[in-house]
Amino acid sequence: MTPPPEAIAVDASDDGWITSDPPGPAHVVRRLVGLPTMLARHRDLIYTSVRRELEARFTGTLLGWLWPLVYPVFMFVVYYFIFARLLDLKLPDLPEGLEASMGIYMFTGILIWSGFGEGLVRATNVIVENGNLIKKLAFPTEILPLNMVLTHLVTMMFGVVAYVAVLHGSALFMETPIFPPPTAMLAWIPVLLLLQIVFTFGLGLLLATLQVFVRDTIQVTTLLVTIWMFITPIFWVANPEVMSSIEPFLDSLAFNPLYHLIYAWRVVLMSRQPEIAFVGEDSFIGSLGIFAVWSVAVFLVGYTFFVLSQRRFADEV
Amino acid sequence: MTGSISRSDGWAIEVEGLGKAYRMYKRPLDRFVEWGSAGRLQRHGQFWSLRDVNFKLRPGSSMGLCGANGAGKSTLLKVLSGITAPTEGRLKMRGRVASLLELGAGFHLDFTGRANIFMNGVMMGFSRREMAAKVDEIIEFAELGNYIDEPVRTYSSGMGLRLGFSIAVAVDPDILIIDEVFAVGDMYFQKKCIDKIYSFKQRNKTILFCSHSLYDVRQLCDEALWMRDGRAAAQGDSVYVTNEYTAFQRDHIGEQKEVLGDEIPNASDHLGASVKLPRIRDARVYRLGTEEETYEITSGDSVEIRVWWENPDPAATPIHLGVGFLRQDMTTCGGMGTHLDGLELEGTSGCTVLEMPNVKLLAGQFLVPILLLDEGGVHKYQEFLLPENLVVRSVTRDVGLFRLDHAWRLNDDRPVPAPVEREAEEAR
Repeated sequence: MTPPPEAIAVDASDDGWITSDPPGPAHVVRRLVGLPTMLARHRDLIYTSVRRELEARFTGTLLGWLWPLVYPVFMFVVYYFIFARLLDLKLPDLPEGLEASMGIYMFTGILIWSGFGEGLVRATNVIVENGNLIKKLAFPTEILPLNMVLTHLVTMMFGVVAYVAVLHGSALFMETPIFPPPTAMLAWIPVLLLLQIVFTFGLGLLLATLQVFVRDTIQVTTLLVTIWMFITPIFWVANPEVMSSIEPFLDSLAFNPLYHLIYAWRVVLMSRQPEIAFVGEDSFIGSLGIFAVWSVAVFLVGYTFFVLSQRRFADEV
Repeated sequence: MTGSISRSDGWAIEVEGLGKAYRMYKRPLDRFVEWGSAGRLQRHGQFWSLRDVNFKLRPGSSMGLCGANGAGKSTLLKVLSGITAPTEGRLKMRGRVASLLELGAGFHLDFTGRANIFMNGVMMGFSRREMAAKVDEIIEFAELGNYIDEPVRTYSSGMGLRLGFSIAVAVDPDILIIDEVFAVGDMYFQKKCIDKIYSFKQRNKTILFCSHSLYDVRQLCDEALWMRDGRAAAQGDSVYVTNEYTAFQRDHIGEQKEVLGDEIPNASDHLGASVKLPRIRDARVYRLGTEEETYEITSGDSVEIRVWWENPDPAATPIHLGVGFLRQDMTTCGGMGTHLDGLELEGTSGCTVLEMPNVKLLAGQFLVPILLLDEGGVHKYQEFLLPENLVVRSVTRDVGLFRLDHAWRLNDDRPVPAPVEREAEEAR
């Protein structure tokens, strides 16, 4: 049996001594460099925890593993009827028979958002929630928020896979398909997922650490995530030709990282046909690049804050 | 990682001037005031739960922690496990550390015992494959039978201990840290744990062990550390330290409630009134019929054990005295009790003498606990330890626990064909 690593809740310096000195920049850098190795070493812990979390949520329920699909489908139906039918919002110049496209647009938006937003809220609370564990066992605490992020990403991917399958099915068997099915752009999904993990994990670490010291964080986060959802183009289209009323707010949209993420996802999932409403100047690669910069920056801030505060967790939770 | 610990000059654990203070904020706002002022305005109170603790342990040694509740034992174990950081001083642990600080820490109640073995293992940094290789050994050691495939929710605390301890020892750490968790185990499993800990020591592993049972501390540990108010009140040889601690408790009866809580009974009944429970004031070993106190005897010597006791309310709490002789591996070599001999102890105080002519124990060190029991001999009011272990030397070379009475007749005059041969003859 290969020896597992030594305790990492409080780490030792290079000479093996655990001291009272607060961790410094060198320490943060060492932890950052060592992070991939640490994650690789604990991959079974991550895998087991994510699986347990999913099992706990879905096994034993009547619908079981259909539940990850029910939520986005339900959202799709609700928004489709409210927006596309009731309010008669449509994407302009769509070919005949593709009325569902506004629904598709909202569906992809809500799917990706649920993967991000729910994961973030759960991650914020997860360290405090597992206080008893942190006080009694030495293990890499950062794995807790990571698990939450991954769990909700997996749930999201259930929806993504189902979405792709349904569109391809409809293209094969229906005379007028629901929507053109995505194709080669799907190859970008691993990149999108990786960036989304880095971003959500970084922000989750930041908020989860803050929650240890300030218990109001979770309340504020829940609130802000809801507001954030509405200022991100999920239920509305960021194109003045479609919705002229939003024109004054379009410039500030560029500063919303989730706008770029969801835009990139939609390009991948909605096969970016010219007739579908996207803001003209934005390019897929450009949005991906902006989101990548956001991800790395947020992650560095979040992880640094976490590493600097970590040795006080057991005293505070 | 493991290479350094086998070096004879290395220490397994080094602790220098270790201290731990907990911060206490009265209001959540105070924390912001501190942050806002970049630490210039100090708004937190400090509570030192550990101060100036120093010790070093070599691989293969074991140290016991004793002391009252809140003396800092658990905090020390937490700092050593790497769960919380020290506030002052430093420490160094060489090798892998496994700690069992609380029963069922990290167990998921809805999952089966078997699933929890894997969960706990990966939590400690092992892969599923490594745990798969260990799982049979763990299940075998825990002896939970069919319960291993039942949810942990259905387990009793003793079963939780079985599973937790089995996992902790199966991962084969270099340093094993155990907080007071044995108390819930049955005698059979406690014995098993102790055997396992012995085998750990023999394989050059280091053990840190915290217990309210001074008896266990003496049994298992070469060294001991008595914690009092976060500081080391005494440290060194475990017999010396536990004696100091017992002496302190004896001298401070009535002064401090927590100290009493451990071993000197002075419980309150449910109405809150203090009930004076019986207790042993002292116990010593003398050569039979003399005033010579001794703890080193030769096989065949005669001794008497004198026990001074008091029983403020004999009508409410009738008592019995028991004396045990235990070898260091917990084998009971002999046990006597006034209830077993059908006697009764009357009065509110007294000195009871157990006369033992011709003690035939063979060479070894024996723990001699004096038990103060209730009228049925079931509930143990107190377990009193003699100031020293009883050391017996043998003049003969017999093996075993006792010298049995015997004599050899080398050339007897009975007929030579053995009965078995004669019987075979007759059958033919």
